[in-house]
Order: sequence, then C-alpha cells, then structure tokens
Amino acid sequence: MNLKHAKLDNGLTVIAEVRDSAASMAAGFFVRTGARDETPDIAGVSHFLEHMVFKGTDRRDPLEVNREFDSMGANYNAFTSEENTVFYGAVLPEYQDALLDLLGDILRPSLRGEDFDLEKNVILDEIARYRDMPRYRVYETLLAEYFRPHPLGHSVLGSTESVGALTREQMLAYFERRYAANNLTLVGVGNVDFDALVAKASQMCGHWPWAEAGRDLAEPAGQCGQKIVTDPNVMRQQIALASPAPTSQNGDRYAAMLATTLLGDTTGSRLYYALVDPALTDEASMVYDSLDGAGAFLTFMSCDGEKASQVVEIARREMAEFQANGPTEAEMQAAKNKIASGATLKGEVPMGRLTAVAYDWVYRGEYVPLAEQIETLFAVTGEQVVDVARKYDLDRTMLVALGPLEKL
Amino acid sequence: MSERFYDKQLPNGLLLLGQKMEQVSSAAMTIIVPAGAAHDPAGLSGAASIVNEWAMRGAGERNTRQLNDALDSLGCQHHEAVRSDHVVFSTAQLSRNLDDVLGIYADILLSPRLEDATFEPSRALIAQDLESLEDEPAHKCSLMLRERFYPRPLGANVYGTVESLAAATPAALREHFGRRFSPEGTILAVAGDIDWPALCERAEQLLGDWAPTGAAGPAIEPPLAGIEHLTKDSAQAHIGLAYATVPLSDEQYYAARLAGMVLSGGAAARLHTELREKRGLVYHVSASYHSLKNCAGVFAYAASRPELAQQTFDMTVSEIRRLADGIEPDEITRARTQLKSALIMQGESTSARANALASDWYHLGRLRSLAELSDAIDATTATDVLQHVRDHPARDFTVLVIGPKPVDTGILEQ
Repeated sequence: MNLKHAKLDNGLTVIAEVRDSAASMAAGFFVRTGARDETPDIAGVSHFLEHMVFKGTDRRDPLEVNREFDSMGANYNAFTSEENTVFYGAVLPEYQDALLDLLGDILRPSLRGEDFDLEKNVILDEIARYRDMPRYRVYETLLAEYFRPHPLGHSVLGSTESVGALTREQMLAYFERRYAANNLTLVGVGNVDFDALVAKASQMCGHWPWAEAGRDLAEPAGQCGQKIVTDPNVMRQQIALASPAPTSQNGDRYAAMLATTLLGDTTGSRLYYALVDPALTDEASMVYDSLDGAGAFLTFMSCDGEKASQVVEIARREMAEFQANGPTEAEMQAAKNKIASGATLKGEVPMGRLTAVAYDWVYRGEYVPLAEQIETLFAVTGEQVVDVARKYDLDRTMLVALGPLEKL
Repeated sequence: MSERFYDKQLPNGLLLLGQKMEQVSSAAMTIIVPAGAAHDPAGLSGAASIVNEWAMRGAGERNTRQLNDALDSLGCQHHEAVRSDHVVFSTAQLSRNLDDVLGIYADILLSPRLEDATFEPSRALIAQDLESLEDEPAHKCSLMLRERFYPRPLGANVYGTVESLAAATPAALREHFGRRFSPEGTILAVAGDIDWPALCERAEQLLGDWAPTGAAGPAIEPPLAGIEHLTKDSAQAHIGLAYATVPLSDEQYYAARLAGMVLSGGAAARLHTELREKRGLVYHVSASYHSLKNCAGVFAYAASRPELAQQTFDMTVSEIRRLADGIEPDEITRARTQLKSALIMQGESTSARANALASDWYHLGRLRSLAELSDAIDATTATDVLQHVRDHPARDFTVLVIGPKPVDTGILEQ
C-alpha cells in the first residue's frame, strides 16, 4: 500500500492510496469550501451548490446524471460541512473511468435557472426536515454561539430566508471563486489504476481555471457563556458544551483524540459511567472537531428536563477531575485499542478510508499510512493527554441548552 | 474474492457459521438469540430491550464496569439491538482478540448477573428511548407503521409503552430471560480472518453446556392495519405507507427486490425522480424491502412541508401503483447492477458479512455464495419482475402520518 501523487498544471492535485487486492475503488473530489467561506448574504450557498452539481451539465441533464450513477451500481453521495464540500463514489474497479467521467463532468455544472428554482424547494424542505431534529438544532446552535463572530459559526444549511433570497448569479460567482482547480483535490482509494486516474483527470479537469480561492484563517477566540433556547415542543432536554481544542494542523491532535475517547466515548468513558450508566442521560458523547486552523471539543447530552442541572454539574465535575488527575494507564490502553481497532475496521473498506486519506492531504499536505498513525497514537502518554486537556482548558465552555427548560 | 463458508450445529441446537475472508485483519461476530420484541410477555412490551440492556451490566466474574472495560481493552466495537424475532449482539475487533471477546459474550448469554441494582437504570434508559421518539418523528413514523402493518405481535415497538415499562420487575424479566435465552434457534456467525476449527472448539467449550429451554413462539393475530394520523406541530409531515410482498425465502424474492430497486434503488429510481427531481416536493422519499421469516413488506416513507403533504401522499401511491403498468428494460438493467454491486461492496466488510450469514441461515437454512446471488439476480428478467408486481399488487395499504394536518387518503379507494 502506498500513496501516489500528481499535480496538474492548473493546480489540481490527484492522490491515491492503492490497494490492488480491494474489491472496489472509491474516488472523491474534495473542494476546500464550505459555510465558513460564505458571507451572510449568501448563507447556505455551499450546500445548495452541492445539490446543483447533480443537476447536470452541457453533456448531461439531471436525470441522466442520476441514471449514470445508478447504472454503474455506484455507492455515491456528497456532503457539505463548515469547510469542505465533497463528492464521492465507490464502484467496482471496472467502472473507474465511467465514475471519473461523470464526477469530472458534473463538477462543472450548468446551473440552469429552472433547475435552480426547482432545487430551491428541495433545500427548503431539507431545512424543515432538520427543524424536526432537536439533536441537529442543538449542534448548529452550539457552533453558532461558540464560534461567533467567526465564520466557523455559520449554518451549513442557511435559513429559509437566506436560501429563499439566493440568486443563480450569486451562486455562479461563488462557484467560479471556490471551485477553482487549485482549490480541489481528487482522491482515490482501493483498487485504483493511478495512471488512468491521472490521465482521466487531465482530460476532464485540465482546462479548469486557477483562481485565488483563499480562506480567512484568523483563529476564532471561542466564546464562553450559556445560551438557553426554550422550545416546549421538544420533549427531551438537549445540552451541549464546546471548549477549545487543537487545530487540524497541530501535533496535539492525537492526544486530543484520546482525551475525547477517554472522556466521552459512547461506551466505557468517564461521561458514560457518570451519566449513561446510572441513566441520568440517554446519551453523553464527546467529539473532537478538528478544523482548518481551529478546533473544538464538543459534548452532547440529552436528559429529562428536571435532571438537567444535575447532569451539567456532573459533566463539569468529570471534566475538572480529568483535567486535574488525568487518565489511568488501563484507561489509556483501552482508549488506544478502541481507536486503533475502529480505524482498522474502517480502513478495510475503500470507502471507509477515503475521507481519512483526503483530510491528511487537504489539512496537512501529508500522507501517513494507517499503521504509522496507529504507532503514533500508541506512543502518546497519559501525561501528554492531561497536558492537552489543561492547555486548552475543558472548563472554558459555551453551553447551549435546547428543550422545555426556561433556565438551568 | 474467496468465499469459504462453514457451518456446524452443536448438540444443544446452537448453530455456528463462519466465513474465512482474505486481506483483512479483523473478525466480526453476530449473535442472534430468539428473544426479540415479538416474544415480549403479555403486558410487558419492551421486555426484550430492557433485558438486552440489563444483560450487558455484568456477567460471570465481571461487574458492569469490568465487562465494559474488558471489551474496550480488546478494541471491541459492539452493538446490541432488538428486532422482531431476535435480540442481536454484534461485535467487530481485530481477529487476534476474537477468542477473548467470545469468552465475554458466552458469559453474557449464559451467566449475566441481572442484579436488582442494575435493573432500574436499564429500564430508565429504555423509557428515555421511548420518550425520545417524540423528538424523532421520522423514526417514530417508521416504528409505528411497522407495528400496525405486521401480524401482531411481530411488528411490536421494541421500546414498549409507558405502562408496560412501569410494570416490568426484575423478577419478571429474569424469568423472561431464563425462558427465551436458549441455544435452540440461536445463531453465532463470524466472518473475517478466522481459524474455523479452533473457533468451533472454543465455542463448544464455552457454549456446549448451554441447556435448551424449549420455549414456544408467540401466538399470531391479524395486524391492526388501517390508516392512522398523529397530530404533531412538526415542521414536516412524515408519511409512512406499507404493503405486503413476498418474504426472503420465496421463489419470487429476487423479483421483489428488483421491483423495489426500480421504485427506490437509487437517485434514478421512480420515487426519487418523480417526487424530488421533477417536482421538488421532497428532500427525502424512499421505499425499502423488509422481510420477517414468513411475511414481508415494502415500507415507503416520504416527508414534505405540510402544505405539500397531500400532493406527496398521492404521488407516492401513484408511483407505487404505476409499477404494474410496465417496467423499462434499462430500469431492470440498472436495478440488477446496483443490487450486485452493493452485494460485492458489502462483501468487503467483515461486519456486513457476519450479519448476512446469520440472516441467510435464519431465512433459508443455508448460506448463499456471492456467485449464487449474482446468478439469481441475472436470471431474473423484466417479465419476472412484472409478473411479480401483478401477482402481488400494491393494495391494502397501511398508512401512518405524523404532522400538523391529516391527509386525505381517498386515492387509496380509487
């Protein structure tokens, strides 16, 4: 297994982790753009544009795009986050060329007016769909409150108003700036014919223009405080916490990963034993959101309204205790085994390895084989983990509550 | 892809299944025990879910924390689930840790502690899951639709009711566990980097003395069926529709699956094309095939903004019915490719394979190779699919809608 790498003249990077024995291959275009690269007047444009990419080109109408993906039995999709827009598919190796022909073509969408108007309805429905998901709402509110006024706090979906007012011309201007060749990486994983991949990329993408895409990389301060959103229609009290964490580019990230597993994995973690095991909450989990020049530890809990104050107090106490005394050696070993085992299982399927390989490259310009990453992880000590917890300070939090309560 | 399958039944009835896979360093295990929600005692619905949670809280020599920590330190990713006929324990780990994980699960199956002290939190978590459904209307819609559609109690809501959870006692659930956790009908399937003879020896040593209980299945009554609307001030109307089809063991199974793919196998399938791509009515619409042992259904789900709910409902029904009018050759070609491709790609995952082994044996009493599946899909023609759709027309819909206003279901009478 090794990494192959090429760069087209227009700045588009092509990389692949090749494993000839795999039954399938996965490929994806990773565009370095998302909600953080939007201004408020175009809030939601990255995500809307992700939908419009599937609405066809001069060569294919929207229905043909769908038919072609389905005809090769592709397992494909796209997603938009605060800072990435990703289009990917997994296919049997014989469809590599067909997949790249299609992905390479649709990445230059026609953005036809009638498709734009029709798809806007789908986006508005998607926004309504997420309104029926309190867990998503608390996540979105937490990022907004924690990062504001930094653009990392922008909503990925945008609002009914912002999407409603968006014009095709605004989207086109955004597209030309953000989907420049040098702002994209094409990544392949699994049973990939790399020479053919590069040749196809040159044919499909060689003419894409270069542009000054850029990104505001000012580091967010991270807000402290508390925000309570009262909604009597929500039954369970949702509680979320955010605090500072290492950036994607920071060497502390392995220790940060271990800290979240130790404190907030869905089983066997400190928060699990303190909250879920005694059934004070039905959920308690912590994730490490490692971002471009930023980072945050995010904790999510849901409970009966009457238990909310107690739950928050216990969660804070657990974090303080962890920060004061750190993990035991047995906890460290278990956390390392869990992370390593999870990454190995995921890595056995090309689609599972795709984003990991891509993000190593996009965020850090590096390729690290999985075995080497696992070695690095196992070398982290308990002292390093507790140092990271102290340095970033788990107690410096923004708390968001959403649900029936008017106060905590 | 190499396919080496193994099966062995122990004298107590426990069935062991295996698939040796190359190029992987993991091994996944799926254990299905015939103690699912359909077997919940009368008045104690939710029993299977509580028992499933409770059984993980200490077993054999280990208390809750020791058990959890033992699995964690083996890097074991584990999930527990309750289905109609079974409770399911799934694990995935590096193959070198499989033996130790198996030892822990033998304790969970044979000697869970089921202590009074750990009962209340187990019940409380299921009660919270039940309450959480109110905040997840899409999930609630699919659970309640299934409950109405299947003959009772096969579609039973795994979370029970507020009353049934309150009625559960440690003694009653211990008795339920003792009756339902039996090697008869239990399947233990492993897939990945395995040593089959060594695995059999270890399983026999750990589970060979597990005594069968001879518990009978539930009495079956007709389904509730019909049409129900639940009023909720939600942002979307959540629409669920179900109709009967053939089960997995039926000779028309592949035709049924291909018909399902034509309807909802991908973005080019009919529901997505007509409701989302052409009309912009919905973000999500889908229909999926689901089979129990002797009955099966197609479950359609669509969600739209409330003002578009009527149109969404009528279009969904029309598209389902339109299958019987005819199917284009290229629709069948796409459906075949998609179904085969999904099978091959699932074949790369040890967890997906362990689940498939258990499912095959439960439904068919044997394992299907990739070649057999692929040949069967290729051999199913457009005529077969159309014949199937006409033999089993979509009618007698069970309907469940959650949203601000009821929809008019008059189209179902036409």
